[in-house]
Amino acid sequence: MKKNFKGKKKKQSNFNKLSLFSPNKYNFKKKCPLSGKNAPEIDYKNIKLLKRYTTENGKILSSRITSISMKKQRALSNAIKRARILALI
Amino acid sequence: MNLYEHTIIAKQNFTKSQLDTIKNKYTNLIKKNNGELIKIEDWGLLNLSYKIAKNRKGNYLHFKLKGNGITIYELEKNEKIDNNLLRFLTVKVKKFDLEKNYFSDKKEEKEKNK
Repeated sequence: MKKNFKGKKKKQSNFNKLSLFSPNKYNFKKKCPLSGKNAPEIDYKNIKLLKRYTTENGKILSSRITSISMKKQRALSNAIKRARILALI
Repeated sequence: MNLYEHTIIAKQNFTKSQLDTIKNKYTNLIKKNNGELIKIEDWGLLNLSYKIAKNRKGNYLHFKLKGNGITIYELEKNEKIDNNLLRFLTVKVKKFDLEKNYFSDKKEEKEKNK
């Protein structure tokens, strides 16, 4: 069933059909960008990747914003903290 | 035997020969304590993102080594006392990726491509 929704989603915007009373059957969640087949590997040496998931001040962005899965978020925060020790970030 | 990645940061104002002595010192230490050195990566002089002991830059050396707990213990014991170093970090890994080098010099890459 899910696949059928995806086909529809591209044609019309999600917000047209959405009202308070109709159940929310459209999937707003993005997929995790770090899991899947061709996803980049999380590594404390890969600064380019880590900087994408930190603010300008060097804080770690929450997974609610970046839509990273829980498992990868743990690995990511670990990698960022290692990079901080080496003064790379 | 476990696989470790070990990185050290030396102070900024070192000449090449001084860096080589540091490199040799720790390679010998690894070999003495039943360790096996697989690769050394010289990342060169990089900007630190924050000052450490009045240093704005640091010389990075990256070791990929096989060893046990004693090897790492001896290494870190010596590095703690060493005045030439700013930081060190040991990470245990399951697998080395020997192909990727995130900090390789751009000049060297260009020469290779030629």
